[in-house]
Amino acid sequence: MERSVIENKAATPLRRREPIHLLKELKAIFYLVPFLVPFTVFYLWPVINGAWMSLHVWGIQGMQKYVALANYKKILENPDFYSYLWNSFYFVLLCAPTVLVLGLVLALIINQRIWVRTLIRSVFFLPYVLSVSVVSFIWLKLFDAKNGPVNAVLHALGMNTDINWLTDHRFVWWAITIATDWWSVGFVMVLFLAGLQEIPTDHYEAAKIDGANAWQRFWSITLPGLSSVMKIQIFYQIINCLKLFGQVQIMTGGGPGDSTNTMIRYIYVTGFKKDMFGLAAAQSMIFCFIMLLIAVVQFKITDRKDG
Amino acid sequence: MKKLALNIAAVLLALLFVFPLIWMFLTSLKPDGVNVYTLADWVNWSDLNTDNYVKVIRDSQILHWTWNSLVIGVLTTVISILLSSLAAFSFSKLPFRTRGIFYVLIVSGLLIPTEAILIPLYETALHLQLIDNIWAIILPGLTNPIGILLLKQFMDGVPRDYIEAAQIDGSRSFRLWWSICLPLTRSAMVSVGIFFFILSWNNFLWPYLAITSEENMILSAGLPTFLSNNNMSLNLIMTASAIAAIPTILVFILLQRHIVQGVAMSGVKG
Repeated sequence: MERSVIENKAATPLRRREPIHLLKELKAIFYLVPFLVPFTVFYLWPVINGAWMSLHVWGIQGMQKYVALANYKKILENPDFYSYLWNSFYFVLLCAPTVLVLGLVLALIINQRIWVRTLIRSVFFLPYVLSVSVVSFIWLKLFDAKNGPVNAVLHALGMNTDINWLTDHRFVWWAITIATDWWSVGFVMVLFLAGLQEIPTDHYEAAKIDGANAWQRFWSITLPGLSSVMKIQIFYQIINCLKLFGQVQIMTGGGPGDSTNTMIRYIYVTGFKKDMFGLAAAQSMIFCFIMLLIAVVQFKITDRKDG
Repeated sequence: MKKLALNIAAVLLALLFVFPLIWMFLTSLKPDGVNVYTLADWVNWSDLNTDNYVKVIRDSQILHWTWNSLVIGVLTTVISILLSSLAAFSFSKLPFRTRGIFYVLIVSGLLIPTEAILIPLYETALHLQLIDNIWAIILPGLTNPIGILLLKQFMDGVPRDYIEAAQIDGSRSFRLWWSICLPLTRSAMVSVGIFFFILSWNNFLWPYLAITSEENMILSAGLPTFLSNNNMSLNLIMTASAIAAIPTILVFILLQRHIVQGVAMSGVKG
């Protein structure tokens, strides 16, 4: 105790060390309480309780039996788990890069002096405010094999068979990716736009004088200037893609076969369709663990940049 | 020349983006069973009517769900902002020794999404007898710490002099919050509030599980029930989607500057 105080003093000599004023502490904490109450009940407690439940065979009616790590063993021995895990990450590989590149392209376009710029920006952003059910409904019908406009356009372009977008395992992930990109690219665009506006214009002027062409300016000024937004966005999109549920639930129901079942849908089916809460809690814990790993990597990467 | 090409590309892209929405509205206005498929269907406006809207509104509880979504969205947003502002005030203006511990604890709320704690959250809601109650949606919606982080940044910008002057006048800390920090961070609160409202309005998975009866359903979670109803034609499904989309689109058009700003702010920092 004593030592840590001295060390602390050496580390931050400017700050005066005050003894804990109980009243002052309580007063400050008092202002946190209104937030901490729901936070504890609906976030902290479920996290802890989830770990506890995962060690039990647990039905929707309540606890049945303590089984230690048997649930985890069951999950890790089940090949389904790995295929759903792979599906989730496969979607990350498809969706995160496409939405980031498309968002960047849109931001670069909007950042130019183009006609009706605000209107076009609004159009790109608009789908983001729709709910996932509306987005999924629209694309469910747009991708309809028989009567969907997507195939109609492809027919007009000369294709002569119908693509079964939502029931053919070769196309289904692309259908979901396109719907998701359309939905969320406006969000990415807005963040990149904010980033672009923070790059000083005189950097571009200087590069122009040096004779750099547009492409060189993009690589040596724009992209580095966006690196912090980019880092945040990459991780945000990875996490967002891993949370995929609504689109799959509405557009494909996990099909064809099991090919679009994801981690979240796996948890949902195990817990709410098969009534195996303990097993589903163990799956949730594994999912939490993956999320924490990603957060650690993100923290390391952003930290290195700051230091 | 280059400029022209860029302009045309931008306009074409914008048309491509708005196409699904126009298609949705057009299909919803066509008589039951008529598809918008060929170009002729697109330009034939003679058969447009609002029968589908009448039908969907009459046969389902969609307007009631819209109302529920609105009530839940407003309550979640207003309560969230107040709680976040109070906590941000404490972190920003009341120097206390254990703040570091509490700050880390609260920021940890960003790490694990609701999706990852569905099962124990359901268990908690079950115990508190909140299942099929709108508070089951509102209360877990209050745990997002992003509002605290953002509002704290803005409160850090409130000059110390203001606070000290008020303290000399004998103001208590609650008054400092209410009459100085709250008004001075108004624009930030609007941005954060809009962000919270969108999150709540579009929340899907948790309401989908926690609400079981038709009358407590919210819009985003209620919509999929149209799919399981086999009598629903394409036109009626698009009508339901359109009804669900119209309020959001209207709000977006009215508040778009704030919305874009709020999203940019929350996203860059979060």
